[in-house]
Amino acid sequence: MILHLIQSSPEQSSALKTCLRYATQSDSILLTGNSVNCLLKQAWATQLKEYNVAALQEDVIARGLTSLLKDTKQINYDEFVSLSLKFNKVISW
Amino acid sequence: MKKLCIVFKQPPHGTAHGREGLDLSLLSASFEQEVSLLFTNEAVLTLLKDQDPESIGAKDYIATLGALPLYDIDTVLVCSESIQELGLSEQELRIGVTLSAPEEIASHLNAVDEVIVF
Amino acid sequence: MSKFIIQVNSAAYGNAASYSAYRFAKSALESGHSIDKIFFYQDGVLNTNYLNSPASDEFDLMQAWIELHNQYGTVLVNCVSAALRRGVMSESDAKESGHGHWNMQAPFIMGGLGELVIGIESADRLVCF
Repeated sequence: MILHLIQSSPEQSSALKTCLRYATQSDSILLTGNSVNCLLKQAWATQLKEYNVAALQEDVIARGLTSLLKDTKQINYDEFVSLSLKFNKVISW
Repeated sequence: MKKLCIVFKQPPHGTAHGREGLDLSLLSASFEQEVSLLFTNEAVLTLLKDQDPESIGAKDYIATLGALPLYDIDTVLVCSESIQELGLSEQELRIGVTLSAPEEIASHLNAVDEVIVF
Repeated sequence: MSKFIIQVNSAAYGNAASYSAYRFAKSALESGHSIDKIFFYQDGVLNTNYLNSPASDEFDLMQAWIELHNQYGTVLVNCVSAALRRGVMSESDAKESGHGHWNMQAPFIMGGLGELVIGIESADRLVCF
């Protein structure tokens, strides 16, 4: 059970692409920073549907994406801390 | 002792990621950690023969890869999908490595204690 | 309660990851967890440049790290070789290499990569930003 942390948009880095290549169904993916933008793109959103995905609420609000991403689970930093301990490890791609 | 997997995902020479990842790999091994390496995406190009990084002002850290066995770093995984994407074959790589399918890599990532990506 | 080690790999300015690392660290400490150390590696060492001078109406991340240290005693360690290559230098490094200037001082300290490795070994969880 791995928590995959994605911090950059797929237009900036290969983080999300690489993570999706190795993630398994029991893993979770947390989107922070610019990576939250990827949910707006159908191709990424479809691939992410296979996994348990959450976005960092502050990063969503900061970018004015709250209503656009209303179907995505959003968590705060305290929940991020708890999540990082709930999983066996955190991989920051 | 922990099992650490150091992941290289960036191509060599254009940034310091590969160099600094290798520094951490060797150091972790010398501190008695069980270190494994994974090369994925364009980082598999790190393993090509006949490189000349000094000609572009970069350090030839590639030469250090030969020393991995001295540090007891025996597990070096290379993503077969990335090799295929770049049209490479095992013969073009300079050190003995294991080509691994994404599912095998996924189970390796699950088995180690911590994973650090460069 | 658990013990974290946090690795910061991005610069203080121009990349949001360091701010995120700071917020994570603060939340962890406020929730009662401990942090073995914050380890600055790669461009992360640029968080510790004392000459970082954000405009007065901007968030001062370096100051925020210092306040975290003041409040919780959090250890803030630079990888010395990554720092020197990026022009981040302590007084003793400067004297050793004959430089008349330096730009890193307490509470930030210089350390080796070994401190990261030992930290990872003893912590319950590593989180990299």
